[in-house]
Amino acid sequence: MASARLKGIGSLLARQGILIAFALFLLGFAAFSDSFSDADNLMQVVRQSAIIGVIAIGVTVVVISGNLDLSVGSMLSFATVMVVDLHDKIGPVPAIAVMLVAVLVLGCINGFLVGVLKLNSLIVTLGMLSAIQGLTLIYSGGQNVDIADQEATWFSLIGRGSFLGIALPIWIFGTLAIFMHVVMSTTAFGRRVYAVGGNPTASVFSGIRRTHVVFAAYMISALCVGIAALILGSRVGGSQNNVGQGYELQVLAGVILGGTSLLGGSGTILKTVIGVLILGFIQNGLLLLGFAYYVQWLVTWVVIILAVWLDIAAKRGRLLSPIA
Amino acid sequence: MATLKQNAALRWLTENPIWGFVVLIFVFFSLSNEFFFDMNNFQNILVQTSTIGLIALGMTLVMINGNIDLSVGAVVALAASLMVDIQSWDAFSGWGNWQMLPALIAALGVGTALGALNGIIVWKTGVDAFIVTLGAMLGVRGLVFVYTKEQSFFAMNFTFSDLGMSTVGPVPSLAVLFLIATVLVHILLSRTVHGRNTYAVGGNREAAVNAGIRVGPHMVVNFMIVGFMAALAGVTLSSQMGAATPNLGRDYELWVITAVVLGGTKLTGGAGSIIGTFGGVLAIGILRNGMNLMQVPAFYVLVILGSILIAVLILDKQLTRKGVEALKT
Amino acid sequence: MTTTLKALVAGTTAMAATCALALAAQAQEYKIGITQNNVGVDSYQTTYEQAFIAAAEANENVEAVVLDAGGDVARQIAQIQDLIQQQVDAIIIWPTNGQAVVPAVRQAKNAGIPVIVTNSNIAEEGFDFIASFSGPNNIQQGASSAELMCEALDGEGNIVQISGQPGYTTAIERQQGFEDRLAEACPGVTIMETQPGDWNREKSQRVMEAFLVKYDNIDGVYAGDDNMGVGALNAAKAAGREGIAFIGATNFSVGYEAMERGEYYGSIYQSPVDDAEAALQTAIDILDGKDVPFLNYFETPKITQDNMGEFTKPVF
Repeated sequence: MASARLKGIGSLLARQGILIAFALFLLGFAAFSDSFSDADNLMQVVRQSAIIGVIAIGVTVVVISGNLDLSVGSMLSFATVMVVDLHDKIGPVPAIAVMLVAVLVLGCINGFLVGVLKLNSLIVTLGMLSAIQGLTLIYSGGQNVDIADQEATWFSLIGRGSFLGIALPIWIFGTLAIFMHVVMSTTAFGRRVYAVGGNPTASVFSGIRRTHVVFAAYMISALCVGIAALILGSRVGGSQNNVGQGYELQVLAGVILGGTSLLGGSGTILKTVIGVLILGFIQNGLLLLGFAYYVQWLVTWVVIILAVWLDIAAKRGRLLSPIA
Repeated sequence: MATLKQNAALRWLTENPIWGFVVLIFVFFSLSNEFFFDMNNFQNILVQTSTIGLIALGMTLVMINGNIDLSVGAVVALAASLMVDIQSWDAFSGWGNWQMLPALIAALGVGTALGALNGIIVWKTGVDAFIVTLGAMLGVRGLVFVYTKEQSFFAMNFTFSDLGMSTVGPVPSLAVLFLIATVLVHILLSRTVHGRNTYAVGGNREAAVNAGIRVGPHMVVNFMIVGFMAALAGVTLSSQMGAATPNLGRDYELWVITAVVLGGTKLTGGAGSIIGTFGGVLAIGILRNGMNLMQVPAFYVLVILGSILIAVLILDKQLTRKGVEALKT
Repeated sequence: MTTTLKALVAGTTAMAATCALALAAQAQEYKIGITQNNVGVDSYQTTYEQAFIAAAEANENVEAVVLDAGGDVARQIAQIQDLIQQQVDAIIIWPTNGQAVVPAVRQAKNAGIPVIVTNSNIAEEGFDFIASFSGPNNIQQGASSAELMCEALDGEGNIVQISGQPGYTTAIERQQGFEDRLAEACPGVTIMETQPGDWNREKSQRVMEAFLVKYDNIDGVYAGDDNMGVGALNAAKAAGREGIAFIGATNFSVGYEAMERGEYYGSIYQSPVDDAEAALQTAIDILDGKDVPFLNYFETPKITQDNMGEFTKPVF
């Protein structure tokens, strides 16, 4: 009886390990840094995580469907440069519309290559990473783009404004996360994504069109990148051509930390949100404690492996893998 | 008889489509640029690709196993920093040119050890190699910055960079080293028990276990090989520069994986060859060199390389499908 | 075999050199190769490239081979080798790293090709192998920024520093010049913390947000260029913090505009067009056999809200 309870606690520990680690980190930083637990600072970390978080929501859908998307970083550069550049030329609303159409076209290409032609998603999106970075530079001619009068446009509010005392990027991030979580956990589409990622062969037989689901997942990912570009472009009021460089790996790290399996078929949006926030708090906390910025990479190394290890150890019921 | 031979050649080409592509771009650049077809330039290409190439040899083994190693770029930087820094330590100042030896041992040793660490984590925890090495990619880069304190190192002794620029007969030493390594890894993969096991583990793990292969230690060995190769690449790269920078090797993992996949190795494991990988490495090297000589603007190079990667993937898929159909009939 | 080959190579090089001299006498075409650091990463480098191409096209005696290393040292070395292979008359290099390119530069010199370093210098160990350096004096720029900071704070206060890409010569020199001069001219000003902003406005904005949380007594911000400086300014504005002096080390148009609005104290005026034209002219002068000073610094004056009328707004 007692041992059963102990086992229950053990599996709870392992299954919710990510939440516990999250709590431990928060407490640890709060104990050693005065400014960490400051409400302004906590809000700021969430706000800074919003861009990566919004993209991670889309990438989670792609990963649940059993694929990867490494092109999101350059796609973010592309979208941000485009929307900022067009803002002064054709006005904010048309600029946003054109940008969203453009990223959706890129999402279409990913979806076509991976969904329809069934090519390997890692390599396809790796190729797209390079190609889209080139497209961005060709589009802008390599010049930075800026919004001339940032005080005069409502566009600036997306990244800088607030509502009820909470910054708009947090509202966007939170709303999108809840919406996508509901979509993934309650709708037929959500079930199909899990089915396609969990067991691609079986799902074909059960009549689910893998092609459509994968295609849709990449469109969602692209749309999320477009939304993130709005926040980024508005926050900075300008853009460099490499602004999204390396985001794909931070996003992926957040998704993995949240416990989404790269094999597909499992994971939730809300856990991805927690994964992204953990990365944000590690980064912020270590800087406030006075560590050099590269120490966070070492900590992230350990945290990622431990988190995923505990997660799968709980699922298989033993700590070490059965590999001989 | 003649058709038989022709068939064999054709079949070889369908198995290694990348070599068809290599020939195609080789002819294209030879005809379109006066400086391309030149012994010196071919040597340049071999030296320039040797860094990516050495890593790709090790990566091929790991990927045939069905694993992947994303940390190689960071290992390149760490090995290069160790190589350049340690040879100028005061402790070895009396050793003359032998001061390079402890540096070399440290660089290669650390690379191999990090490979072993990755391998053991993959083996013991059962966490996907992609995740384990994604973590290591960040973490090892962190180690580089901790070790170097963000500074570049410079080898005071020009012998080191002379070694990187030296030649064996008319051929640059680094090109010779790359070619020898290619032959050795090719033999390892195609002629030895370890090579056969590499395919077996990646192709059908259960069958491999049933055949008595100890999958865990086997994978660790391949991770150690790729770690060693990445460190060796770090050493050769730093010898070309006589220096090491903490940002060295960024994105190399992506180019290495690209080269290996272009060479026909499957990401799911079980298939691939060193001949194919060598072709993939050459394809990237010739494209970069040729586009430099033809002055293709840098922005377009990115688009062209990305598009070619995807195009070859499509072509490969078509050929495999045709091959399967041909086998059926 | 090898000796004959070497003799042959030496012979042809000598012949090529003679030919080059003979051609120069008739003001014939020079083939000048350039390998740049990372075009497209910021507007300065992009504008530099455009200005370089424009200047080369305007000069009928010059044929330019324009390459970009994309920030990767290894690729830059490969490009230097490719330029040697093409037997260009001179190589201009914008080093991705001041130390790592030294052996490749030495290789070019050994092949009889003069090397001109542009924008940011190579390590001293390589000085023997280059014909000339043309560019801004980054240490002096850092020092000038320190003087501006001193002036803005009246010699008293606490500041934070946002540096450029770690490991990059320009970043290191601007930081060093700033810190050394500040300690000398203005001991009353303390640098509380330095973090890299990677020449990236968004990164710099994030770094500044963390600084603002951590310190409530920031009087001034020094940034490695205006692009990062304006990122820091954005962060301070969003946090509602006023009375902070922002100083950069290369004036960008965004910085110029912020100065017009009175939000930005000052910067250093550095024109990529001057930079590019000076590099090309130095290369041509060397090929013409003229005497060229080893260090060709072009002027990079201080620009502040007071004297900005004397300068046209940067195009980048």
